[in-house]
Amino acid sequence: MAKIGVFICHCGENIGGRVDCSKIVEALGEHPGVSVSVEYKYFCSDPGQESVKKAIRENHLTGIVVAACSPRMHEATFRKACAEAGLNPYLCEIANIREQCSWVHSDKDMATEKAIDITRSMVEKVKLNNNLHPIEVPVTRRAMVIGGGIAGIQAALDIANAGQEVVLVEKEPSLGGHMAQLSETFPTLDCSQCIMTPRMVEAAQHPNITLLTYSEVEKVEGYIGNFTVRVKKKSRFVDMQTCTGCGDCYTKCPVKKIPSEFDCGLGRRTAIFTPFAQSVPNNPIIDKDHCIYFKNGKCQLCVKACKFDAINFTFQDEYLDLEIGAIVVATGFQVQDTAMYGEYGYGKYPDVITGLQFERLASASGPTAGKILRPSDQKEPQHIVFIQCAGSRDPSKGVRYCSKICCMYTAKHAMLYTHKVHGGKTSIFYMDIRAGGKGYDEFTRRAIEEDEASYLRGRVSKVWQENGKLMVRGVDTLLGRPVEVEADMVVLATAMVPQPGAKEFAKTIGIGYDEYGFYNEAHLKLRPVESSTAGIFLAGACQSPKDIPDSVAQASASASKVLALFSKDRLEREPVIASCNEATCAGCWGCVLACPYNAIEKKDILDRSGKVIKQVASVNPGLCQGCGTCVTFCRSNSIDLAGFTEKQIFAEVMGL
Amino acid sequence: MSEKFEPKIVAFVCTYCTYAGADLAGTSRLKYAPNVRMVRLPCTGRISPMFILKALQKGADGILISGCHPGDCHFTHGNYHARRRWMVFRSLLDFIGIPTDRVKYSWISAAEGVKFAELINTITEEIRALGPFTQYHGLIEETQSQASL
Amino acid sequence: MSIEVQYRDRAKELLAKGEVKLVIGYGGGSTPNRRRPVFASSPEEVDRLVLDSLCIANLSGYLVTEGLLSDEKKVAVFLRPEGIRSINILAAENQLNADQVVILGFETAGSDIRPLEGGNVLDFSEFIVTLSENRVVSDSDPVIDKLENMSAQERFSFWQDEFSKCIKCYACRQACPMCYCRRCIVDCNQPQWINTSAHTLGNFEWNIIRAFHLAGRCVECGNCDRACPVNIPLRLVNRRMAVEALNSFDHFAGLSVTQEPVLASFKKDDTETFIL
Repeated sequence: MAKIGVFICHCGENIGGRVDCSKIVEALGEHPGVSVSVEYKYFCSDPGQESVKKAIRENHLTGIVVAACSPRMHEATFRKACAEAGLNPYLCEIANIREQCSWVHSDKDMATEKAIDITRSMVEKVKLNNNLHPIEVPVTRRAMVIGGGIAGIQAALDIANAGQEVVLVEKEPSLGGHMAQLSETFPTLDCSQCIMTPRMVEAAQHPNITLLTYSEVEKVEGYIGNFTVRVKKKSRFVDMQTCTGCGDCYTKCPVKKIPSEFDCGLGRRTAIFTPFAQSVPNNPIIDKDHCIYFKNGKCQLCVKACKFDAINFTFQDEYLDLEIGAIVVATGFQVQDTAMYGEYGYGKYPDVITGLQFERLASASGPTAGKILRPSDQKEPQHIVFIQCAGSRDPSKGVRYCSKICCMYTAKHAMLYTHKVHGGKTSIFYMDIRAGGKGYDEFTRRAIEEDEASYLRGRVSKVWQENGKLMVRGVDTLLGRPVEVEADMVVLATAMVPQPGAKEFAKTIGIGYDEYGFYNEAHLKLRPVESSTAGIFLAGACQSPKDIPDSVAQASASASKVLALFSKDRLEREPVIASCNEATCAGCWGCVLACPYNAIEKKDILDRSGKVIKQVASVNPGLCQGCGTCVTFCRSNSIDLAGFTEKQIFAEVMGL
Repeated sequence: MSEKFEPKIVAFVCTYCTYAGADLAGTSRLKYAPNVRMVRLPCTGRISPMFILKALQKGADGILISGCHPGDCHFTHGNYHARRRWMVFRSLLDFIGIPTDRVKYSWISAAEGVKFAELINTITEEIRALGPFTQYHGLIEETQSQASL
Repeated sequence: MSIEVQYRDRAKELLAKGEVKLVIGYGGGSTPNRRRPVFASSPEEVDRLVLDSLCIANLSGYLVTEGLLSDEKKVAVFLRPEGIRSINILAAENQLNADQVVILGFETAGSDIRPLEGGNVLDFSEFIVTLSENRVVSDSDPVIDKLENMSAQERFSFWQDEFSKCIKCYACRQACPMCYCRRCIVDCNQPQWINTSAHTLGNFEWNIIRAFHLAGRCVECGNCDRACPVNIPLRLVNRRMAVEALNSFDHFAGLSVTQEPVLASFKKDDTETFIL
């Protein structure tokens, strides 16, 4: 039998002055199931709370309703008071008769009537409240960072430096990501390799970091604090333990003309190779597709060259199943495929290149040792045309967003070029110059004022070749006339787009993505580094186009989220979560689809012989956030939400 | 002259946006009609068509359903799912003869205290003009007369 | 060769070769104008099968009989286009494995009846896409036009008259292939959302919620309408829901085995003109 206590707070004059509290006390006192109905000036005060506790103890109350201010103000206060009086805190409900009644109505009689209705309906609800207990989830204190670019390295180092274990997974043979490919970085023009390589080495040597390069995440199961991640370690055919990275193998390799991925096709590499000179780790791998031995079983020159017997063609891929507590996704971006720009002649004219290719040309460790030379004839170009927004902000190319970094790196390219080629001319076609960021606008001004970059506001319609020159036809919208510029080289500031397979990868690890394949944050403004899946965080350009400082900042933010999660042995979560009645569930999977958090799993119900007799939905308490969308979908009323159960809402409505 | 008809209106709202918006109307001391009774839910995604039917059974003359603007849902998608349900349910109620004017839907953010107060006033006046939902009340009376048999 | 003979032969062959364990089809009913379901599990029983333009019931619901398909053997079933769409929905909603269903498809127009090529539900994909492109919902009904021209009050009275007849026998639910729940919402008494008494209020609630549960899932086979012993025009409500799903969300129920339920999915730019 319910014994409900009703406590009507005057909140000084705030409530008492505008509704007749004695009438509420009287009305509720006569309501079935109510044992105590009292009023007081300030129930949130210490003596007020004490009186509530005393009433709970003395009357053995089974639930309380505090008619007072909004639950957003003092629900926590009165729940705590309940707990102190030995009543489960979730047996407390708040009737909001201040913000939503006394403060907003001037007719005292009607306000009083409304306050009675509100309180009565909460009494009806609380009669059906259940004891709830915070959900405790154990936490495995080991983080996984997916992606070994600057964002991933930063996140891994931050977590590792705080004393927690990290597994850093990189799919390429070396750490570094895109940042390792860059020449100088804006707005300071410091050399990218110079600031990047020490970080790569630090990550590789850190005692708390386990580095898995040339490895890919294949499967993620479990939930926050308790993931199991399967990682595929692709075979390098080189024993990392015995290999010293001396390089004898690749100097002997007869296959020398493979376009280097790291140099964006501008340089060449061998079949056994390290992607670049400063690779971390510096052990080579064998590219099976180009290796002669793998084609016809002959050659093995590298094996003969190796003094340490480190090369073995029979090595196989390995699989690791790792227990992980939190995941940082830092899988980065790719440069949009320029093939769609037929009108700009990319692929047709060798001297039309992408911004990333220009980085390799300008890099001191690049294929030209830092000299700006035309890919077609290795001559120094005298005039370069840069085309910004080659893809970005162009709905017809499927990219409606701004790639954010192109204005800056194009200005940087123009500066680097004029520093290297004295007297060289640059023309830049642009839509807008977007230089928001510390020192950024000053930087683009410098490109214009000191390095004489000529900015032309307008789009380019066509690039073609004429008499050994590249002809660029565009429009100068400020002058309102078409222009044709003669160039020796054209650099396209191509859009930053998600990695190939970004969407499939998101499905593998169970996070959301937008129409392009960038990963969705839990809240654009307030939870920008969390994915919608609890325990999985985002860093860097996999979430949206970002420059280096933004990527690093987000990586550190993710790391702090991981560390907060690892600060306790067990994770406590609000018990307001859904659960499924397996007896009545029809297994139609509507809830599975509707759940924004992938929190509902498909569970097999087996008979004694182990045969599947039916499938039902099963809510993972670690993932459920308690929105209740599944409950409303369920036609057979098989899923319910603790704290807002069907019975409670029914009673609340019927109590109005 | 007879006494002014005071409509009974039940509102189903999400706690993160509309409930917070209603609180803001309170802290801003805005004044609005006292005819609405609120039912707080975690998300518009939790608002079932069944709630509407039960509110009608309790004699509601009007219903309000409200939550976060699209894109603002605390649970990212709850209001998108809710919007589809509403679309379908609204069409169904219309076809059955439950006037669409009596069941209202709105997006009210936690910052829109003014919008909340104004909306409540507008809805109250509109439903007052429609008068009591006598057709449905007739059904309720029928059940009571049966129960007393 | 008549389609009846042709399909009997096919059914006989399927059973004789052991390709299916059961054929669900039509047989003669209690009056010359009625057909009833026939379940043939041996070639000898096939001669009881009848196939003509009077065979209109959607037989797909029998497939979800508890345990029927759990042995992974196949079952053949006579289906009109609506029935084939039902198979898609049942497969999409995890109620059956479409590969266990051999479809003996046919369509009727007036007294004409003609076969539909194919066996697996995927064989009918193009055919169903064509139906969806022609936005085929059942023909408009004179009653619909009458209803649409009524005021809300008049419509309410219309349905009040209709629903007051309802005796809560749940024949509509029993006949519907989509009503496969182990426990129906109306049988849930904690809480009792829907009044079970056969008073008009309870009948309103029952029929409204049933129609809502069928939104985007009803293929308008008409099973419920024909099953209703008091002749409530249930088809009208279901048709309205089908039109709504099609017009508002471009959702043609039963388009494919991977179609997402209309109410468990959304688009960010779904219409919302009615939201204040």
